[in-house]
Amino acid sequence: MTWLNSHPLTFLVFAPAILGALILALPHALGRLSRMLGFMGALAIFALSLAWLLGHHGGGGVAERTPWFTLVGLPVDYALTVDGLNLWLVLLTTFLVPLTMLGTWNSLKDRIGTFAAMFLLLETGMLGALMAQDLFFFYLFWEAMLIPMYFMIGIWGGDERRYAATKFFLFTLSGSLLWLVALLYLANKAGGFNPLLMGQAAALLPLGAQHWLFIAFAVAFAIKVPLFPLHTWLPDAHTQAPTAGSVILAGVLLKLGGYGFIRFAIPIFPEAAMHYAKVIALLSVIAIVYGALVAMVQRDIKKLVAYSSVSHMGFVMLGLASFTVIGTQGAMLQMLNHGISTGALFLLVGMLYDRAHTRMIADFGGVAVKMPVFTAFFFIVTLSSIGLPLTNGFVGEFWILNGTFLSGFGWGRLYACLATSGVLLGAVYMLWMFKRVFWGPENKDEDSGTHHLHADLNAREIAVLLPIVVLIFWMGVHPRTFVAVSEAPVVALLQDAKAPAIRPFVLKPAVHEAEAAEGTHATPEASAEPAAQEVHR
Amino acid sequence: MSLTPSQWAALLPLILPALGACLIPLMALDKDQTSVKWIRAAMYGTALLAVGASFWYLTDLWTTGAQPSFFQLHLDRLAQFTGIFVLVAAALTILESWDHFHQEGWVKGETLSLLLFSVTGMMLFASTTHFVTLFLGLELFSIPLYAMVGTVRTRSESAEGGMKYFLTGAVASSCFLMGGVLIYGLSGTLDLASAAFTLKSQGLALDPMVLVGAALMLLGFLFKVSAVPFHQWTPDAYEASPHPIAGFMSVATKGVAFIALLRIFPGSLAPLGAVGVKMQAVMAVLAVVTLVVGNLTALVQTNVKRMLAYSSISHAGYLMLAFVAGTPAAFDGMLYYLVIYLAMNMGAFGLLTAFGLVGGQTTFEDLRGLGWKRPAMGVAAAIFMLSLAGIPPLGGFYGKYMIFRELVGTGHVGMAILGVLASLVSAYYYLRFLVALFLQAPSAEAERLASDRPAVHAPLAGAAVLVCAVIVLAGGFLQTFLADGFARRALVEGLGLIR
Repeated sequence: MTWLNSHPLTFLVFAPAILGALILALPHALGRLSRMLGFMGALAIFALSLAWLLGHHGGGGVAERTPWFTLVGLPVDYALTVDGLNLWLVLLTTFLVPLTMLGTWNSLKDRIGTFAAMFLLLETGMLGALMAQDLFFFYLFWEAMLIPMYFMIGIWGGDERRYAATKFFLFTLSGSLLWLVALLYLANKAGGFNPLLMGQAAALLPLGAQHWLFIAFAVAFAIKVPLFPLHTWLPDAHTQAPTAGSVILAGVLLKLGGYGFIRFAIPIFPEAAMHYAKVIALLSVIAIVYGALVAMVQRDIKKLVAYSSVSHMGFVMLGLASFTVIGTQGAMLQMLNHGISTGALFLLVGMLYDRAHTRMIADFGGVAVKMPVFTAFFFIVTLSSIGLPLTNGFVGEFWILNGTFLSGFGWGRLYACLATSGVLLGAVYMLWMFKRVFWGPENKDEDSGTHHLHADLNAREIAVLLPIVVLIFWMGVHPRTFVAVSEAPVVALLQDAKAPAIRPFVLKPAVHEAEAAEGTHATPEASAEPAAQEVHR
Repeated sequence: MSLTPSQWAALLPLILPALGACLIPLMALDKDQTSVKWIRAAMYGTALLAVGASFWYLTDLWTTGAQPSFFQLHLDRLAQFTGIFVLVAAALTILESWDHFHQEGWVKGETLSLLLFSVTGMMLFASTTHFVTLFLGLELFSIPLYAMVGTVRTRSESAEGGMKYFLTGAVASSCFLMGGVLIYGLSGTLDLASAAFTLKSQGLALDPMVLVGAALMLLGFLFKVSAVPFHQWTPDAYEASPHPIAGFMSVATKGVAFIALLRIFPGSLAPLGAVGVKMQAVMAVLAVVTLVVGNLTALVQTNVKRMLAYSSISHAGYLMLAFVAGTPAAFDGMLYYLVIYLAMNMGAFGLLTAFGLVGGQTTFEDLRGLGWKRPAMGVAAAIFMLSLAGIPPLGGFYGKYMIFRELVGTGHVGMAILGVLASLVSAYYYLRFLVALFLQAPSAEAERLASDRPAVHAPLAGAAVLVCAVIVLAGGFLQTFLADGFARRALVEGLGLIR
């Protein structure tokens, strides 16, 4: 137990992989047992992560750091940290994994044990990447994560799975390999992979070099986000992946891109990040509008949700590019929102597909009559995805748009207005799809999807969806729970980035409060207040 | 002539495999080895014993730290490293070939004899700077290899591949010889280290004849590592030879050639500074060409063995990048890379045997669905292929990492970018291997044919593959032990390179 007390993060990160490796060693015939073992393990990890991490956010978070090895003169640290920036993303990951396992319990027919093992290996990759505080260590997880995801798409995916899996793998690898060269270049200057040292070393480099390095970092992360025009792998991967793969892809993997910006790219290259803010914002706006427009014309529900992901993640990047506290906090929240809402949408589409064996919008119609409970859940999640007030989507998008509008950049107001059209288009494509699938007369055609719907949701599926609905409303009504811890780090980040002087009218009260909070050892909750007030003013 | 114990110590690791090689053909004198199984087993046992004894002796030398020598044969740390490297490859080859030759129905102990002679030659080749000894070693390991490529006489393409390899190899050897002769003619000494000093003191460092001589010697080495444009023999020879022999060639030949190159060019010929710089430039150009040609050609192969051949060409390119960087740490990375490469490639070729793919049945089609039928082999295959592609946290990643880091550190950022792009391309064809194993179901006809054939039984090859997989995995987690404790000590204490 003493080891556990001093290494809780190590346990959280590696326990899933160890369990996964054990499950992999079990024979195929024990698939059902393996699935159960995997689910129980993931659930235990979730419970432990709640118990160990939630209590600690008042201090500097939980951290483990020890020198790991020195190769070719560059020391690498074994550094894991959970702090304000990644606490909720870590919890989102540990939450979504067992939930998805339960939600797709009967979706797969063969090799279910291997699938559970891959899922657990993937969880280790995701948690490791979220917690790693050494760029080499981070890189290891970042790349290793591709392996289980590749197999999940490739083995259990749809008809085009081989193409989609290979495209996903190579696309992500291309960005991260070039990033590796940049990383080596910077590590060479910094004498190690510690992000702090790297930031100091980067500041001493000529501006041109900083810009190139930032581009290498940004491209690697932007592919994962995915930012227009690097998004083309996403619709294929999402559509072809099995339901569980899509949920995790949308729920966590995409977040790692945005998280990479907040955690590494912006703090290490604040000047270059400011310099390219306009480019990133422009691409985000294009992603928001373009993603929404393309989503509108999709005939496959899953593909529609995939393109809506492009649009929603565009908001995250726009919030980051605004360089305001409220915009960045909005981006943090939007990442959680998207993980919950889009994850839930993929789960729901998966439940529909399991029953009807089709995902084409035209094959449905009048589903509301056949599956009223399902329809109710789908409706709530749809509203949250659109961003209706009182649901989570609203808060994130509002903060981001607010931050962009007030950012003080010359382009801020124009881009905020353009991006707002994305919210509108979001309502259009979601509600239009909803209308065609759920409302209207029942599709009586023998071959139609509606015809094959026999049973409404069972208790297991409701048990999966209920926590999601609770979270949707919780985040919509009381978002402070989820952004309070990130307030202080975000403020510090923006101060380091020397956000332009025009911004203090958003920034100032927050900074003031944060200093006061440090002085009196109050919980960081207090410092979240101004941002929230800003919204309601 | 009486030898001192130290001289014996230097000779023994070479004598043991040679002795085994001489014993093996004698064992089948009055018995028919094709029908008597215990004769075959005794032959394989003898070969393993010879390799094992030599290995045990070398590891003992390594732990005591002794670096004995016998005239021009210097069994220093680097030579001991090479010896251990080659012997491990040979042991894996012997294990895999037991199963492979039984599958082919062509078990001849003489193959093992050739293999052991080749091992002796390789150890000689990498432990000397004396030109004649060097050439002796080169021929001693090359000639048995030519014969081993064509060993399964019943297959016509086998003889063809062996012949091709022999003819091109003979030309390369004569070029190598000519290069040595030129340097000898100008310096008057056969020891390359003292030749370099003599030439420098005579002011001949930039003499065109010296340059031509050095270039011709470099050609000989580059032929052995199958760098473009001296690579054409590689796919044909690999395709023709039995799988374990192809694995041995790809690993051991490349390994010793790189280590000998390291000993001669940055090592012995260091006093001729200008020549070294010129050769480094040549290596840089050829490394680029090798990476591009090797990887792009591998993309379009339909035969797994040809794909692996082009992949081994492209790996020669990565290893050559270490010479472009030219720092001790880069050579450390190169040796580390070679260790992992040994496990990855011996494993990949061993897999073909473990899956029971004999002769020409080595297309990607033949691999379909095998990963699910043999899960342990499938996991091993995933480890090898992802490691070959350089995906962390496997061993292959660290080899590339160390070399790329030195490239970036010495200002060759462009080369590093090219290197990572090359490994991006390579990821595609390594994934194809996994796609076939896991993501594609076998065709109905293949299923029917498979049910007619007897079940594959290849326990030794399977064990060898698993050992390789463990080494590759360990390379990803015990990287400091391998890189600092093994490779770096070989460099520092053997070659006298101080970081």
